[in-house]
Amino acid sequence: MLKPPIHNPIARLAACWLFALCTIGIARCLAQVDAARIDALIDAGYAKAAVQPAEVCSDQVFVRRVYLDLAGRIPTLQERKNFLDDPSTDKRIELVDRLVQSEDYVQNFADTFDSLLMGRAPIGKIAERKKLWRPYLENVFRHNRPWDQVAREILLARPQSPNQVGSVWFLYERNDNAQAIAEAVAPAFFGIRIDCAQCHDHMIASEIHQKHYWGLVAFFNRSKNQKTNAGPRISESAIGGFSDFANIHGSSYPNVLTFYESKTIDETRPEKDAKQEDSDELYLPRENPDEPRIPKFSRREKFADEILTGHPRLAHAFVNRIWAMLLGRGIVHPFDQMDSAHPASHPELLDELAKAFIESGYDIRSLVRKITASRAYQLSSKPPAQANDPATFAWAIERPLTAEQLTRSIQIALLQQANPNHPLLADLRDRMPEVLPETITTDVGDALFLSNNPKMDQILLEGSKPEGLIGKLASNPDLKAGVQNLFVTTLGREPSEPELDAVLEYAQKRLAKESAAEPITVWRNIVWALIASAEFRFNH
Amino acid sequence: MAEHSENQNRVTGDCGSPEHRAHRRLFLQGAMASGLASAASFNALFSVPALAQETKKRGKKCILLWLCGAPSQFETWDPKPGTISGGPFAAIPTSIPGLQISQLMPRCASIMDKLSVIRSMSTEPSEHFQGIDVLTRGEQPRPPFTRPILGSVVAEQLGQLDSPVPQFVLLEPCPEGNEFKSFKAGNWAGWLGAQYGPVRSGGEFAIPDILKPESLSQLDHEDREALRSFLSRKFQNDQQSQAAEGYNAAFNRVKGLMSCAPLFDLEKLPQADRDRYGPGAFAQYALQARHLIENGSTFVMVANGMPWDNHVFQHEMHQMLVPELDNILFQLIGDLEDRGMLQDTMVIAMGEFGRTPWLNEARGRDHYSKAWSLAMAGGGIRPGVVVGQTDPLGFEVTENPIDNRRLFATIFKALGIDPKEQYDLPDLPTFHRVEGNVQPIEELLVG
Repeated sequence: MLKPPIHNPIARLAACWLFALCTIGIARCLAQVDAARIDALIDAGYAKAAVQPAEVCSDQVFVRRVYLDLAGRIPTLQERKNFLDDPSTDKRIELVDRLVQSEDYVQNFADTFDSLLMGRAPIGKIAERKKLWRPYLENVFRHNRPWDQVAREILLARPQSPNQVGSVWFLYERNDNAQAIAEAVAPAFFGIRIDCAQCHDHMIASEIHQKHYWGLVAFFNRSKNQKTNAGPRISESAIGGFSDFANIHGSSYPNVLTFYESKTIDETRPEKDAKQEDSDELYLPRENPDEPRIPKFSRREKFADEILTGHPRLAHAFVNRIWAMLLGRGIVHPFDQMDSAHPASHPELLDELAKAFIESGYDIRSLVRKITASRAYQLSSKPPAQANDPATFAWAIERPLTAEQLTRSIQIALLQQANPNHPLLADLRDRMPEVLPETITTDVGDALFLSNNPKMDQILLEGSKPEGLIGKLASNPDLKAGVQNLFVTTLGREPSEPELDAVLEYAQKRLAKESAAEPITVWRNIVWALIASAEFRFNH
Repeated sequence: MAEHSENQNRVTGDCGSPEHRAHRRLFLQGAMASGLASAASFNALFSVPALAQETKKRGKKCILLWLCGAPSQFETWDPKPGTISGGPFAAIPTSIPGLQISQLMPRCASIMDKLSVIRSMSTEPSEHFQGIDVLTRGEQPRPPFTRPILGSVVAEQLGQLDSPVPQFVLLEPCPEGNEFKSFKAGNWAGWLGAQYGPVRSGGEFAIPDILKPESLSQLDHEDREALRSFLSRKFQNDQQSQAAEGYNAAFNRVKGLMSCAPLFDLEKLPQADRDRYGPGAFAQYALQARHLIENGSTFVMVANGMPWDNHVFQHEMHQMLVPELDNILFQLIGDLEDRGMLQDTMVIAMGEFGRTPWLNEARGRDHYSKAWSLAMAGGGIRPGVVVGQTDPLGFEVTENPIDNRRLFATIFKALGIDPKEQYDLPDLPTFHRVEGNVQPIEELLVG
């Protein structure tokens, strides 16, 4: 029986709301079920390693962590308060739901994926990327585009609609260098590094063969950058791109169209020294004169259709990378070397997450939601006694803030709002380019930068305006309240007694009449000490 | 995990024993307790480990004058005057009877008894990048593994890691330099880890942010770090945070490194010294290398782009380059000797290969790796020795050919580093400091 249509606009709105609420409710419920499965598999790992996991973290630790991971910055005072005051028992997952819908999430994930897919780049290149590539990436996360489709668009590089034009940039920026393309495609979409299979089969991951390297190169070696009236495009020739590669023993092999854990694409190879003639016959009739012509046998299309589509690694690599972003290391670590030399710590979990990701239609948000709902994500960062293996995920692994996260978070702390293009960012990005580092190290240059760089000085001056954190502290006669507020604003927690005493003592000493220091100077010193503290520098 | 860190410790010299770790933990707790107790003054937090005068002087050190581009052996250490290989320059007698070197090096000729020369270098790569790689790391590459560069190994083995003075410094004013440019962008410290990479300085590569902003008083600068350190150490201890441990360790080096800023300031060196070394960038940075070694650095590599690659007008170019090198070596060895530092400080002057016995059409000499020369002095190298020889036209080594492995075994041995030691690192096949079980050149070693 058909339902009667709802004519009353208010009722219709209400029905829509109800529907939306139910959908969100179901999704939330599903996320929790999935999270329970993650917990069960992680628990099994604890039992096997005989470790007791850390406690689940407090709400104030959670709110800082999840804002940094999803919104790319610490929460404002108001955001923090809203969360802590919320009486709901589901408030953690509710916050995640709000954050993955936010523009901050879009920017944060676009930042991270720009670095992971394209590498860190000098400022000139970043300006170029802003024209096409960045809007494309933002669109992916804003509209939660399915990852398999995104991968296909990027590697096929034949935009079908205006919001896909930026997809060509992944290939375009590599400037006709098919080896650079192959070396970027393998980690970005398949979670493996093949660089060293250029000259020989992989030394420590013997399943990665030299033919995989040269096969992947061959899929892209007929592609060329082309400037068209419609913008940058990647053309493809119907001929050429045949060569042999030699291994270290001197034997030589043809570069057939093949790839790791996939098939070999049939292609007629011309006789040695036979000259191939290019002709219009070899191309499809042009539909749009602005677009490059398309060969009837397109290697790129073969790759997209027959290698990429349904490749088992695509989901595994993506799931492992999101896990690494949220938990500080991949289920396979490093996250982009998913080969036999780097076994998964929780293989079953990886398989199940990948399978569910495929079944969800490569839904990025639901993956993020389910991992953040797990207990492993929500553990305290203090390692429990006896635990020493981070691969057990028995405590939350500390991660350094990226340059983007740090620049925004300093601004939030100082001004409660962030300009994503703050001048500090370019310098910090040069100084601290790491995104998802394999191991955390601090270079003495980082410490010099935070201690002495004029841009750090500048941002503290911005925070010294009357409405800034330092300005407010300097005009507050209640020192104790000031210090408490300072800790909450910067670190998201109240000071401990020794901390309160130490900072108060310092402030009182320097603010005493005989010291004759300007209050603003004294508070700037204190605020710097918090912003340059280890606790601020890391997500924990 | 535990296994990994022990393996790493074996290489870094920390035995990794439980007692060692317990001691360290107690030390941290002690530092924390004193931090709390002295919160009133904060003065305890200001102290940076003092430069121990004794360790500063002890131990072997090395200056590598990296003659990038590859100088000609004929116009330096192995002249063949009067032959078709020889070129227009004569050979002159030296302070060692019977030994002659190029007339472009009169000053070195006068102190030849303090120098030693290998005339029988014979190596494989004859392209720059590969040559630089093999002659600075000591071994052909074996991807995906990256062998650390000589300076990283020496800094790791002999350096004072807690010294405020950087242990491995690359003085290189030139951002360009063809293949050397791409080499410089690569991974220098290799499997030892980035902390053993060089601190780069020179020209526009002054160490960034080494001076405090002028707007900040010394007192405020120190207050800031005292507070930061107090809060961060508390966090490190309360959370048992390894990330914070590394972070705080980096900040611990700030004050020391800032105190070293004058060491990197050429303008601060005595004008008389600067005049003696000469006006060129290479000469000035060689002087600064001496200054850094005197003040606690362990390995200083001096380079200046790739000026020696003279495929065109070889003789004219070398006529400019060799006398500068001649004077630099003369001044450097003399200074080290005057300071009583020569026996502990090795000076090496070399490039990545030599040059052809014949001239090309542009009157240049091309790359030649089959028979070439280099010079060494001090730091465990026996003075006044000439190793090997070449045929009368300099085409082939006729006696005692020396490859990169034997060269590196000799350098390590002379510096007191075991060339045969194994690197035992996670995910690494077994590598030795020098592969192939080769012998150092005994005649070059001080008994």
